[in-house]
Order: sequence, then C-alpha cells, then structure tokens
Amino acid sequence: MIQIKNLTKFYGRNAAVKNLSFTVNDNEILGFLGPNGAGKSTTMNIITGFLPSTSGTVTINGLDIAENPSEAKKMIGYLPEIPPVYLDMKVKEYLKFAAGIKGIKRSERSQQVESAMEKLKIKDVEKRLIRNLSKGYRQRVGFAQALLGDPKYLILDEPTVGLDPNQVIEVRNLIKSLKKDHTIILSSHILAEIQAVCERVVIISHGEIRAVDSIKNLEDSMGNSIVLVMKIEGDKDAVAECIKKVSGVLGINDIIFEETGIHTYKIEIEKEDIRKTIMAELIKKDFVIDEVKSEKPNLEEVFVKLTAQAPKKKGLKDLLNEMDSNNPYYNDDLDSSEKEDE
Amino acid sequence: MFSLYKKELRSYYCSPFAYVIAALFLLVFSLSFINGISNLSGNQFKFSFPNVFYNNFFYFIFLIPALTMRTFADERKGGTEVLLMTSPLNVFQIVIAKFLAVSTVFLMMLVLTLFYPLITVLTGEVVWSSLICGYLGFFLWGLVCIAVGILMSSFTESPIIAAILGEGAMIILIFIDNFKDSGLFTNLPKVAQIIGSFSTQERFVSFSQGLFSIADLIFFITATILFVGFTIISVEKRRWSRG
Repeated sequence: MIQIKNLTKFYGRNAAVKNLSFTVNDNEILGFLGPNGAGKSTTMNIITGFLPSTSGTVTINGLDIAENPSEAKKMIGYLPEIPPVYLDMKVKEYLKFAAGIKGIKRSERSQQVESAMEKLKIKDVEKRLIRNLSKGYRQRVGFAQALLGDPKYLILDEPTVGLDPNQVIEVRNLIKSLKKDHTIILSSHILAEIQAVCERVVIISHGEIRAVDSIKNLEDSMGNSIVLVMKIEGDKDAVAECIKKVSGVLGINDIIFEETGIHTYKIEIEKEDIRKTIMAELIKKDFVIDEVKSEKPNLEEVFVKLTAQAPKKKGLKDLLNEMDSNNPYYNDDLDSSEKEDE
Repeated sequence: MFSLYKKELRSYYCSPFAYVIAALFLLVFSLSFINGISNLSGNQFKFSFPNVFYNNFFYFIFLIPALTMRTFADERKGGTEVLLMTSPLNVFQIVIAKFLAVSTVFLMMLVLTLFYPLITVLTGEVVWSSLICGYLGFFLWGLVCIAVGILMSSFTESPIIAAILGEGAMIILIFIDNFKDSGLFTNLPKVAQIIGSFSTQERFVSFSQGLFSIADLIFFITATILFVGFTIISVEKRRWSRG
C-alpha cells in the first residue's frame, strides 16, 4: 500500500503540488490523470524519492520514503517520463548495470535481465547501443529497467509515449498482466489508455486533487442524460425551436456550424426514446437530417470538466455537485476565483 | 556501488575518452621529459624527475577537468540521474563510486608514465626517494583536482561549463602562492601566512624534492575529502532546489 498524505511541493514560490492525499491499494492499477503541467511527474518523482517534498509524507508499505529511502526504494520500479538510459551502453549491459545498482544478487541478475527483456520484447536488440535505438525501443528498455528485481510497486510515467499503436496495445496488455503481482501507478493524459487498464483514477489539475474514484462512479456522476449529436440542414433558429418544443429535451448544449445551412446540434435528452420523436418532428417540418448519433457522458467529459476549472479550494463533493447541475454560472465562477488568486 | 564504479570505468574505457586524455597526458609528459634531457647538453642543468613533475603539475589544469566534466553534468543532461537517485544507493555511495572511478583512470595514466623512469633506470640513475615521493605527490594532487572537478560537474548540466569552472578552480588553487607573494600583502604578513597555508604549489614541490611530510600528506587528503564532501552536499542540494 502506498499512502500519500498532505503532499505539498514548492518550486521556489510556485506550488507544483498542493496538499495531495490518496492511497494506492495493493494489486490495483491506479490511473493518474491530469493535463500537462498539472503536477503528475512531480508527484511521481516525490513518491519514488527522487525529489524531496516540501511537506507531507509518502509511505511505501509502511516505510517513509524520506526516513528510510534505501529500503523503500528497493520496493519501487520507476519509469520516468524520459527513459533514464545511457546512450553509450548496450541494452543488455545497461540492464545488468541497473540490476546491479538496484542491489539484486549477482546470481540472480542474468535471469532477471533475461525475463525483463522477454516481457518487453527487446531480446532482439540486446546487443545494440541504446543510442541507435528508436524512441519506442528506448521507452521499452526503460520499462524493462523498472521491472528488474520484481519490485512490488511500479510507477510508470506515461509508459506508452512514443510507441506505435501495436506496441501501445502490447504494453497495455503487459501492464494488465503485471497486475497479478504488482501494484501500479500509471500516469497519462491519454484517457483511452487509462480507461483501458485502470480501475481507479486520481484526477489532478493545477497541483490539486479533483477526484479520486473508480471510472464507473465518475461517469455516473455526470448524470444519466444522453447527448444526441445531430447534423441537420435548415435554418438554425427554426430547427432549434422545433427541437426545444419536444417534451423530454433538456436543452441544446451546443450548435456547431458545418456548412451554409447545415449545423450540428448537441441535444441533451432524458431518454433514448425521445430521439424518435425529435426526428419525426424535424421531418414533419421538412428539415433534412444528415447524421444522428448519441453519446453517453464518458471519462473524457469528466476529465474536461474537472480540469478546465481554475484552481479552487473545494471539496470533492462540491465538485461532483457542480458537475451534476449543469452550472449556468460556470464562467462567472471562474472569473471570480481568478480574481481571488490575484 | 561496485556496479556503478564498473559502469563509470566502462564509460571511460569503452569510448575514446580515456585514451585521448591519456595520450595527451603522455604527450605533455614526454615533452617535459625531452626538454629535461636536451638541457643536459649545456652541462649546466641536471636532469631530474622533480622538474618534470613540476612542469606537469600545471598541465593538470586542463587535463583533469576534461576527465571529470561529464561525471554529474552528463547524468543530469541525459535524465539518467533519476535512475541513480531512485536506486537504493545513497548520494554518498554515488559520489564515492564516481570519484573512485575517475581516480582509477587517473592512476592508469600515472602507471603509463612509469615508462620514463624505467628508461632512465636502464640507461642511467634515478634518485629513488625523490621519484617515489614525486609520484606520491603527483597522485595526491591529482586526487584533489579530481575532487574539485567532480564538484564543478555537480553544479551544472553542461560538461563544457563544468570543465571551465574546474579549470578556474584549479588555477586559483595553484596560483594562490603567487597571490600571497604579491605586493598586496607586504604589510600584512599575518594575512599572507593564512593564505599561504592553503598553498598547494609549495607542498607539491616539497614532495617532488623527495621530502615526505605528514602535514603535506594530511593537507592533500583533507582537501580531497573536503571537496568530495562538498560534492555530496551539492548533489543533495540539487534535489531540493530543482524544478
């Protein structure tokens, strides 16, 4: 179990991470989500003991990373954002060296290196200089390094950056298979990735936690409404009026211009059945429907909503409530909080 | 720790790096050696190894920083610092491993120069006490330079800047004597004395003359320990202030 309590990190006067607290349970894959510059890498660097925190504690399996670093670090495998590889070393040589500094017994080193190379499928490049490898291979060499010594906790900072689509799928499957014996923290700003492998996510923005929950709960928290996306030919105002008249329509969220006389409407409705009624009404008025699809609110929307706000001191509950009620004062709120900051 | 030491050594010897510097070192050593011999014909000079050592003492200003400039600067630049710092090794072990690796490379360079006394022994005579003390002084001075060089490398991300800083620091260490003897302190003998206690040249000269003094030995060793200690603090401090 990794426990993070009231973690704060200042870079000079700028707070990169503010009062972060969450727990990572054993044998789970925790997704760590946030836009660029939200403090993901900083947090991971602190968890792994690379950076000291300004205040707050990180305990790895009961060991404080600041008090007992060498013991705690033995339990962690870390793949930083930039794979920490020596360009003038060969792959196997590098992994042997990494195994050495991780304090793996001499007799076990070769076997550990071999199995890590097999897992990441880099056996075919073992004798090549890392300098001559592509970004994807370097990333995988870095990943293999993190697996050496079978650490209980794996901390992966954007592990699939720079990989081609096939490799991305392979690495995702690898991460899933690692779940059996490892606890994994995975950071990413690619939502599909988080959705594919994680059960629980921590969303941070501007160095503050926005949500800690399972993906399903977060999606449900967006409400049960369905958004209908329709591309319709016809006068914008007339179409909008026609749609609004149908009972069960909660509102039109957005109207996007496509071509002259054609717009895409994002219509929030209560239930799927209303779709038919809307279409019938539109056809009656001689509007031409080019395209219809429906969207359920997904993690992407949760993410956008949670991270688009300016930093505010608010509890998780408030945030979720805010998401429920499609807050019309959203923009005003944002302005005022910005003023507060100044 | 041994793995790191081995990796550092390999990074020197599996690249042209160590060889180029060793070659340069032998070149300047040869030049001063040949100079010493050629002066013999005038019958006014005696050829002695202390002179050769004394000349080479100054070449360290650019040789050693070239050797040490990459130690920490490169790690930081390549992002591999993270690997070291998140391994169970502590900063002390990392710095010591790197220091020992560079010292080993330096020692190998010195071993190569044994060639010259060897020739001299075969064809002439050497004063053993002077030779041994000369080598000892040379080695100790080298360790001080290495410690300074590594310290400078831990300050920056750029090896070039590390080398230039190292050269600057060594120039100060060597020419502190000349500073002491300058006109500034003629009226302040106490100050001159204090500054003089930091002088390296004099101590080195006494070594190379075959005079072994415990005080000089301790001076060089404490200077080395001091700079290695500063390096540990500097690396640790970088962790706190980075961002």
